Amino acid sequence: MKKIEIEFTINGKKRKIFVKPNDLLINIIRNDLYLTGSKYGCGIGECGACTVLLNGEPVLSCLTLALTIDGKEITTIEGLAKGDELHPMQKAFLKNGAVQCGFCTPGMILTATVLLRENSNATEDEIRDYMRGNLCRCTGYVQIVKAIEECASEGKTS
Amino acid sequence: MNQFKYISPKTKEEALEILQEKKSDACIVAGCSNVLPNIRNKKINPKLLVDIVNIEQLKGIYRKEDKIFLGPLTTINELIYSEVIFKEYNVLTQAAEQFADPLVRNTATIGGNLVTASPAADMAVPLLTLGAVIKIESIRQKREVKLKEFFLGPGKTVLQDDEMIVGIEFEQSDINKNGYFVKLGKRKAMAIAIVSLALNLEIKRNKIIQIRIALGSVAPIPIRLTVVEEFLKNKEINNKLVEEAVSKVGEEVNPISDIRASEEYRRYISGILFKRAFNKLT
Repeated sequence: MKKIEIEFTINGKKRKIFVKPNDLLINIIRNDLYLTGSKYGCGIGECGACTVLLNGEPVLSCLTLALTIDGKEITTIEGLAKGDELHPMQKAFLKNGAVQCGFCTPGMILTATVLLRENSNATEDEIRDYMRGNLCRCTGYVQIVKAIEECASEGKTS
Repeated sequence: MNQFKYISPKTKEEALEILQEKKSDACIVAGCSNVLPNIRNKKINPKLLVDIVNIEQLKGIYRKEDKIFLGPLTTINELIYSEVIFKEYNVLTQAAEQFADPLVRNTATIGGNLVTASPAADMAVPLLTLGAVIKIESIRQKREVKLKEFFLGPGKTVLQDDEMIVGIEFEQSDINKNGYFVKLGKRKAMAIAIVSLALNLEIKRNKIIQIRIALGSVAPIPIRLTVVEEFLKNKEINNKLVEEAVSKVGEEVNPISDIRASEEYRRYISGILFKRAFNKLT
């Protein structure tokens, strides 16, 4: 099938690549750009493991056609740290033992950063409600919520 | 995944022309949250995806005289954050807040939720109690269809191959301000409703002036309970009346038994959800 050229910014870098109409964003990110932090989970928008930020908003990259990101800005988990300095949310996840197998972690962290951007004083209930589309099959939710709460209480949202 | 061509028109007219030419070979997409899983499960096999997400004419929430107009591309999150919807059509805000999860809500659109025509469609139920009218266009004609006449069966609507939704409208009125939405699912996130119910009510001096009741997942399409509505209209509110209405709700719904719940349970819980909503608003 004919490939089409798209241009976009990913983690601050401009990229131009050729994609097919039925290429999914998650596959392009992992297989063409070698950014394997984003995970392919259920593939049908149920689990949140493939979450990336599209123009700053969390979306499911398994339900996004690669073609549609032309001209837009993507942030993946690889784009959060500033050099060697981890993002406060990443630090909070490490400190609170919020990472078990790690498969859900990139999606969890990205969604959590948007939650605190929108609501920097989120309560436990608000955190659980907002994070409800990101599943952790190790069921480590207590630590995950604790990490996000800690980030909120310290006012470290970016 | 199956192969398809992709086109992203910038105007409504361009999109309608493509539909006119390609008819059933074309499939409209916006948020993709229904269409892509369906393509992957081989439920559908479109030759062409017409991505309408860049058509500005189909976006926005605005007032038109005594009505409110929703572009079909309005995302579920845009509904949640809309002040006018929150203040005057709160039943819709409530349903949007229980829709899927925040990630899906960023891309899923209200038009997409309606054309998918799921018996469980979360947005259809409150739009039914708001008395919504669907504006439809094709190259051939423009028409308006009441939402309660829009659905024909699971996955089926009155839309022809060359038509698309260009707007959703409902009136500004007292009854539309006073609404409640309740959804029973297995869990909060991503749950398909076992039963969902919306109620809009106008009361004066303990008397029901107007009432609209809609339910999801209790019939082949989202439905209005017109028999119960007629029964309750112009009546004085008391406990006996509510109990009678609860049993009439269970009689008027027409559910099936499926993987999520049995017919009997759905009849029973429909009445309970009605009572909860009614008590909340009175």
